[in-house]
Amino acid sequence: MLTKELVAASTVPLVLSVLTESENYGYALIQRVRELSGGKIEWTEGMLYPVLHWMEKEDLIESEWREAETGRKRKYYWLRKEGRKALQEDKQQWMSVHETLTKLWKTSLSLI
Amino acid sequence: MENISEFNLNLALQHWLARLGESPQVKAENLKELESHVCDSMSQLEGKGLSSEESFLVATHRVGSPEKLEPEFAKVNRNPWSLIVHGLILVFFSVVCWFLWGTLHLPQMTQAMLARLGVVDQVTGYGALPAFTRMMMGLGNFMFVPPLLAFIYCLYVWFRKSSVKSSWMGFFASTTAFLIFITLPTLIAVVIPLIALVNHLPAK
Repeated sequence: MLTKELVAASTVPLVLSVLTESENYGYALIQRVRELSGGKIEWTEGMLYPVLHWMEKEDLIESEWREAETGRKRKYYWLRKEGRKALQEDKQQWMSVHETLTKLWKTSLSLI
Repeated sequence: MENISEFNLNLALQHWLARLGESPQVKAENLKELESHVCDSMSQLEGKGLSSEESFLVATHRVGSPEKLEPEFAKVNRNPWSLIVHGLILVFFSVVCWFLWGTLHLPQMTQAMLARLGVVDQVTGYGALPAFTRMMMGLGNFMFVPPLLAFIYCLYVWFRKSSVKSSWMGFFASTTAFLIFITLPTLIAVVIPLIALVNHLPAK
């Protein structure tokens, strides 16, 4: 399980990244993240929606209500140009953290 | 039996949504989306062999309690309130500035009265207004500038697309600080000629 702080920091890049695969609705988005993380990233599911709405207001994503064959209505989200740009920046930042930690842990492992 | 359970489930779902909807910060569209989410979640759980009640409980538990969700929705939906408060502060600020502008016209009136009493000598300038008062009166002519600046700032806050929270507290603090900063010298500038007038009033 991730800490609250790490969940807060990683939700937006995760959503942006999942939406680069294809447009999607909230429930499926959560399923995708759970599946990819092997269950290690568990969100309080309802918390995703305020984040999605915030991202929409920031013009990172767009949305539309659509009806499935079953008659159930779902709100689909997809990326906008600004979202792709934001993801590029996020990617660089996360990668630099990741690379630094990896290097540090490699040296500490060799010391043990 | 199945029908009764189905009915109860519907009722439970409506009850759960109603509880979340009690908060004015959670919009009808938010509820619709959460309902769709819970239904999706339940379908999957029922597919794994859980009963309706069980899947309802698990699905709503995963979504999170209203107490937890409300503040999060409030954060994204709150903006109109902040915009209204910005407007109220702007009105308050403009009224006070207008009042100060009017106050700075008082010395002119006292001056006219003193002239009528013969205290002010138009030629020698004896009894003319103190320099500080005259300076403040000069500044008073530009009293329309601060509300104008505040108005432009409010336009920026109201109409920009980004919803990054702009705290009304900051706006309130800066306008209030400005008012305090300007009110004190204004009062001093006005009180001096007033005292002069009172001193020269003919004793009845």
